[in-house]
Amino acid sequence: MKTQIKSSLRAGITFGIVTLFLYLIGFTITVSQIIQNLLKLEPDSLVLGVDALTFSFALFMGGLGFWAGARQVSVSRKGLGSALVAATLSGLVHGLIVALVAYITGTLNASGIKMNTYLSQLLPASVQLFIFNQTPAVGALSQLGFLTFMGFLGGAVSYGITVSNLFGRLAGAWRSLWGRVNDVPVIAKFRASPAFNYTVCGLILLLMILLPLRVGQYWNYTLGTVGIYVLLGLGLNIVVGLAGLLNLGYVAFFAIGAYTVALLTAPAPHGLVWNFWLVLPLGILAATLVGILLVVPVLRMRGDYLAIVTLGFGEIIRILSKSDALTFLTGGPKGVNNVGGPELFGWVFDDVGYLYLIFLSVLLAIFVTRRLQNSRIGRAWESMREDETVSRAMGINVLKHKVLAFAIGAAFAGLGGVLFAARNQFTGPEDHNLMVSINVLSAVIVGGMGSVPGVIAGAFVLKGLPEILRELENYRVLAFATLLVVMMLVRPAGILPASRGKFEIQGGGSTSEPGKEGSQK
Amino acid sequence: MAMLEVSNIHTYYGNIHALKGISLTVDKGEIVTLIGANGAGKTTTLSSICGLTKPRQGTITLEGEDLTPVKPHEIVTKGVSMVPEGRGIFARLTVAENLDLGAYSRPTNRQEADKDLEEIFSLFPRLKERYSQVAGTLSGGEQQMLAIGRAIMAHPRLLLLDEPSMGLAPILVQSIFGIIQSINQRGTTILLVEQNALMALSIASRGYVLQSGQIVLSDTARNLKENEMVQKAYLGAG
Repeated sequence: MKTQIKSSLRAGITFGIVTLFLYLIGFTITVSQIIQNLLKLEPDSLVLGVDALTFSFALFMGGLGFWAGARQVSVSRKGLGSALVAATLSGLVHGLIVALVAYITGTLNASGIKMNTYLSQLLPASVQLFIFNQTPAVGALSQLGFLTFMGFLGGAVSYGITVSNLFGRLAGAWRSLWGRVNDVPVIAKFRASPAFNYTVCGLILLLMILLPLRVGQYWNYTLGTVGIYVLLGLGLNIVVGLAGLLNLGYVAFFAIGAYTVALLTAPAPHGLVWNFWLVLPLGILAATLVGILLVVPVLRMRGDYLAIVTLGFGEIIRILSKSDALTFLTGGPKGVNNVGGPELFGWVFDDVGYLYLIFLSVLLAIFVTRRLQNSRIGRAWESMREDETVSRAMGINVLKHKVLAFAIGAAFAGLGGVLFAARNQFTGPEDHNLMVSINVLSAVIVGGMGSVPGVIAGAFVLKGLPEILRELENYRVLAFATLLVVMMLVRPAGILPASRGKFEIQGGGSTSEPGKEGSQK
Repeated sequence: MAMLEVSNIHTYYGNIHALKGISLTVDKGEIVTLIGANGAGKTTTLSSICGLTKPRQGTITLEGEDLTPVKPHEIVTKGVSMVPEGRGIFARLTVAENLDLGAYSRPTNRQEADKDLEEIFSLFPRLKERYSQVAGTLSGGEQQMLAIGRAIMAHPRLLLLDEPSMGLAPILVQSIFGIIQSINQRGTTILLVEQNALMALSIASRGYVLQSGQIVLSDTARNLKENEMVQKAYLGAG
């Protein structure tokens, strides 16, 4: 009982603090407006006797309170009475904290003190909303009562779900339905035959052909960016995910590709207006060569040391491209404008054309990665990642394979850079800052190191999710970062981790936790 | 001619003089053991033979061929294979992949590799049960079996074993040593580094005692077991 009360108190305090934090940064009013828009409520209309915005706010707060209460049930499973007490207690604590602050800020606001001088998001409207547009005392008491009630309600509903095993039953029903569908002879036969794989691939391909024609310019651009990040992610996946070489300066190769196409096809600064199709392989080649040049001095470095050196290298390339002294060569801080693009039989590529080109490159990269991964080279990389010394003792030429990993990773990045600069018709130093390296690395890690589907999922999360979250305006980055943290907590090995053998699939994520087994050398 | 002849090698880690003139020979078909305390240089001797830490002085020859200038990954192709200290399995790869990597130095087709696998499974039936399992999830004994199996996949003429008994239950140590003997009977010469001197001397024909980078004693296994100094220092007597 004592531990239960403690855990209720802790949950109540946590939820209280989170709610206050959201209030202080002005998130409460923004999210209320979004809810109001989503429900298509007219701003002046009354819902259940209150105005639309207050109603939306109550929905949001109610959700939080419900969650606070519901959580307590999964912690304590001792019967309805104790579950409800725990849930109500955490709701009460949550309510007390919120009510206290609501009363203080409400009173200050009523007495004409402008709090947004100190906390810029604490606007009078937001404060008024937080006390449900009532007087401070009534508003605070309503918050207390409301959150306590929602905690209780959350506890009751969640207890009902837990006891009746609702989700378990739903999942069971779904599984049996799915199993029955699969047992139908025609379907079972189809799924087992190679035609099934071809059909799936065909459908994906069809989607890739039709999608760009339908979704419009904005989404074509966004999808193109995601595609380029998939390309970068696949390249870095070879270096980090397979060969285990932590490269934090990966953006350098992206920059080399971008600058190669920019300088060779733009009218300024060099006036070389070469054909895009000629420059494309040159960009890849240049990036590959630089990759090889970089890896030679750092061949004997491992882990953290390698990360620092590559980090420095990435910055050197960016600063060189920015420097005034090299403006005659690189276009300097302003970058290069009017980068030339591809043409095919007189057709100048538009947004759809670029997206097709990017999709094609991604498919090529996936093909190359798959072939490499299952080859002797892929094996050698993975053994190097696990234990460099031992793999040398197995007869693997570690130096050669390190160079190879860097070169191929750089080639992918070079291709990405060429496409990026050509599509944007521009490239400049700020396209190639450290954040690119970090984002690509995050995509690989969030998706699941060493796994091709993982990298694709990771690129969508890293580059697509912020676009979807655009609705949240100023709070976009906050929401995005929170989602990343949650995702890493829920799936520490990545969204779609590399699968390996039967056992790991049965055993769940614990066996693939990076470093857990590998560190006990 | 000796299978392996190490003569007067000096190996350094930076400025630390780890091996101060080690000489030893291993004849074809023998099991020779190298015993000594922690830090005596046993592991360094093995990694010098493998080329992982190149000696600054002295020579190492394998059936008359000088290994000193050969690169470490090429030494494997000459027929020297090692079971590293602490097993050194590739933890996040499967048992199957670990074994395949053992044969990396000797490009094989699938049929040959399968034949080799059968041989290894006859020595270690447990590995067959665990074939598609991730190696990091194996028990300590199974990991040691995997490390030995992986080393044999290279078809070595000379097998170097670095403390195969480390961290294993006594009963497992017994069975691992039994397997080492049967590998030897199939024609593989073995150089065995051990802290468990009693076990090592019971299967070896000859032994060397290493102390701070130098060989202080060498004799047949039987004589070493009787030797007063060895008994005192390594066999826990009196």
